[in-house]
Amino acid sequence: MKKTKLGEFEELVLMTVVVLQEEAYGVEIKRELEDRLSETLSVGSIQSALKRMEEKGFLTSEFGEATQKRGGKRKRIYSATPYAHRVLKEMKDVRSQLWAAMPNVATS
Amino acid sequence: MDNQGQHIRPPRWPQRLLRFFLRKEYLEEIEGDIDEIFEDFLEHNSVKKARGLYSREVLKALRPALTKRLTKTGKLNYLSMLQHNLLITLRGFKKHKTTFLINLTGLSTGLAAALLIFLWVKDERSVDTFHEKDDQLYWVMSNFSINDDVRTWDYTSGRLAEAFLEDFPEIEDVVRVSNVRPRGVIAFNENYFEALGLFVGQNFFEVLTYDLVIGNPKEVVQNKSSVVISEAFAASVFGSAENAIGKIVAWENRLFDKEFVVSGVFKTPPPNASKQFDIALSYENLIEVDPWADHWNGSYAQTYVVFKKGTDIELFNTKIADYLTLNTDSDRFELFVQQYSKNYLYGTYESGIQTGGRIENVRLFTLIGIFILAIACINFMNLSTAQASKKLKEVGVKKAIGANRSALIFQFLGESILLSLIALIISIGLVALVLPQFNAISGKALELQLQEYLLPIISMIILTGVFAGSYPAFYLSGFKPVAVLKGKVSNLRGEEWIRKGLVIVQFSLSVIFIIGVIVINKQIEFTQNKDLGYDREAIITFRERGKARKNPQPFFNELEKISGVLSTGNMSGDFLSADDSYSGFSWIEGTKDDDNHLFWSPMVGYDFIETLGLEVVEGRSFSREFKDGTDRVILNESAVKFMELQNPIGTKIDFADEGPLEVIGVVKDFQYGSLHQKIEPLILLFRRRGKQYLVKLRPGAELDAFSKIEKVFEEMHPGQVFNASLLADDYTSLYDTENKVADLSNYMAGIAIIISCLGLFGLAAFTAERRTKEIGIRKILGASQLAIMRLLTSMFTRTVLVAVVLALPIGYYMVDSWLQNFAYSIELEWWIFAVAGVSALLIAWFTIGFQTFKATRINPAQCLRNE
Repeated sequence: MKKTKLGEFEELVLMTVVVLQEEAYGVEIKRELEDRLSETLSVGSIQSALKRMEEKGFLTSEFGEATQKRGGKRKRIYSATPYAHRVLKEMKDVRSQLWAAMPNVATS
Repeated sequence: MDNQGQHIRPPRWPQRLLRFFLRKEYLEEIEGDIDEIFEDFLEHNSVKKARGLYSREVLKALRPALTKRLTKTGKLNYLSMLQHNLLITLRGFKKHKTTFLINLTGLSTGLAAALLIFLWVKDERSVDTFHEKDDQLYWVMSNFSINDDVRTWDYTSGRLAEAFLEDFPEIEDVVRVSNVRPRGVIAFNENYFEALGLFVGQNFFEVLTYDLVIGNPKEVVQNKSSVVISEAFAASVFGSAENAIGKIVAWENRLFDKEFVVSGVFKTPPPNASKQFDIALSYENLIEVDPWADHWNGSYAQTYVVFKKGTDIELFNTKIADYLTLNTDSDRFELFVQQYSKNYLYGTYESGIQTGGRIENVRLFTLIGIFILAIACINFMNLSTAQASKKLKEVGVKKAIGANRSALIFQFLGESILLSLIALIISIGLVALVLPQFNAISGKALELQLQEYLLPIISMIILTGVFAGSYPAFYLSGFKPVAVLKGKVSNLRGEEWIRKGLVIVQFSLSVIFIIGVIVINKQIEFTQNKDLGYDREAIITFRERGKARKNPQPFFNELEKISGVLSTGNMSGDFLSADDSYSGFSWIEGTKDDDNHLFWSPMVGYDFIETLGLEVVEGRSFSREFKDGTDRVILNESAVKFMELQNPIGTKIDFADEGPLEVIGVVKDFQYGSLHQKIEPLILLFRRRGKQYLVKLRPGAELDAFSKIEKVFEEMHPGQVFNASLLADDYTSLYDTENKVADLSNYMAGIAIIISCLGLFGLAAFTAERRTKEIGIRKILGASQLAIMRLLTSMFTRTVLVAVVLALPIGYYMVDSWLQNFAYSIELEWWIFAVAGVSALLIAWFTIGFQTFKATRINPAQCLRNE
């Protein structure tokens, strides 16, 4: 756990990337997250999280197709690295262990 | 709301912002994202709203993770580089202690001197500028043509003020102030206080803003019998300003003896006011004692004009030029105005043209300040160029590992700015330390207000640092690392040439300072020793301050009984301040006030001429035997020449209302007042009851006679304090300004020379060190100590000689123009320049002597061991 410095927001974005598969580019990630969190996010916040995670090795990316809606500019499709999958799994494990360890009072 | 997406483009400015700041590699993707969202916005919002949202998205996208780095390499650590530079600098200071100390001493003394001069100059420039209407306030001057010459006076007729106000609509206000000033003793409750007064027009306190503490500026001098006194005077006489109001004081002086009611108190004039006075009273009082004060042909008043804003002064000058010709029967006056606050600095006129004044001293000291600072900077430049060869390797290594030129320039400039900052702190301490003494010498009350001068001082420091550090910064940083590290540029030919040039500049300045000091001091000595045409040794002078104008004869009789008294005389007014002058004399029968000439006209009693030792060349002196009265006068030779009298004795002179005066004698010309004035036509008038006494004592018995005179005086004038001074001392104080300038320039010249020597000392040390091996080899080959001494000295000797040759003509020009200020001055003799040159050389030899001597005693075995 020590090496993986993954923030809460970063974790959400990362999971969204995994969920969206081929469709995982900036605006789509933003829409998906906005729906799920029901709050407004800015392109800047999503993008900076993506760039940070790419730098840390959680994500890879490549250019996708250009659409008219984007003024002829190409999308960048992100995908999670195996390392990212492992980290996500680790985090989930830690969480479920903690959940299991919690006394029942808290959940009721 | 459905907008046709195709044609609506996102706003341009945010787009540009995005393109400018965003990293190139991210731009396409993120711009695309925001464009896509813009389309979404358009579907749900108005165009305007969508554009607003677009801008917001752009702004939110401009975060550090996404924007360009400010620098190309991105990773340069400025802080640690600064730390590194600082470390290198401090190590350098520590390693080259002598150089560092010389630089620091030189710079901080130089800065301290410059700071003091800065304070002094600022204070001089502030004089009289405190009046509220400073920029509208002007002083009416008159050019008076006489015998192919034009004299400029700052006083004119007392009627001018009123007439000006009537005739010229551009004038807002105008006031007259007396040129004659009452100085006398004020009595209150049997106590006596010396006071200097000023006759002023009714609106004086509205025109010149000497603030009133108590009283209405419109009313305080309305009444002829009311006076306004200064806060300080009120405090010494009445205890406080409040107590003074309504009190009655008796004031006795040579013009009147009257009682006045105190109607107001004004703030004591600040030190930077040129007009200082304790009491202001109505001008009407002067008219009462002398009707000429309100006469077109009398010259009694200074006239101050307040112009309406935007008045064309040049135009006004042409309008008033012949104003007095129209109003008087004389066509010799030409009027013009000069700004009131300018008169202090620009108060000297020659042939009617403004030629300078105190501004010359201000300029002189500004120049001296700059020179001193320049000398200190030159030291720094010199010593750092001298060490350049040592720094070359540092430069080479730094460049080889990738430092660029600007970083090196930054380092060297930082070094010199750091040094000047340390010097600044020391110099501020120095200034605070010597300010009291400086005030005593300069006669000012300066204060060091750092907050006020912070900006100029800091900029001065940075300028000094940049100037001093510029040579190493820009020259050294330019070398190619390969050449430097191969040792190809180790001897730096050009650099030595520059160093010599700087030493030449330094020593030229020092020689000019030495010449200046000699000449100023010679001139002061000259003014003290010049034959003035009268005796001033062993003469004491004092004033009788009593109310009554009583017969002085009984007092004389008592004085003459004292064995130590040689002679006694008296006069009205004061002999040295030379403020008695009258016009209205006419010596050609059937005319009135010929040429309206103003004659010096001291009013003296019996034995005045004998006591002062004036030489009677024709006729006789005033004498008791002839029962001479006020209808007898004595002329000086200049007056005889001016009046073109063939046989002066017996000539009748018509004088105003006093009827004909008979000339009974002619005295040899003597200096009335200070040497700034030329000897001019003078008429000795007779007044038996003058209250200023002059007593000549027998040399050797002065002290004894003095105490006896004191006793007699106090017996015969009960309640009065005997307050005598030596005429010789009073004469010396006439040259206060010159003495101050002389003192100041002595000190400043001393500082300049010391700083120059410091530099030379450092340079000599450096040269000796660098030539150690050469000296060692020479010694092995049999050179004597003397030969080596000569070798090392000759280079400096030549440099200093060049400096002397350059400095002499410049110095000659400068002191010659300074001497033009005096009517009588010393001749510039060759030896002054010889002394300056030789002493510069001697100082230089002395300075380098120690280092050179040390170098000659080197043990060659030791210095050559390393090779």
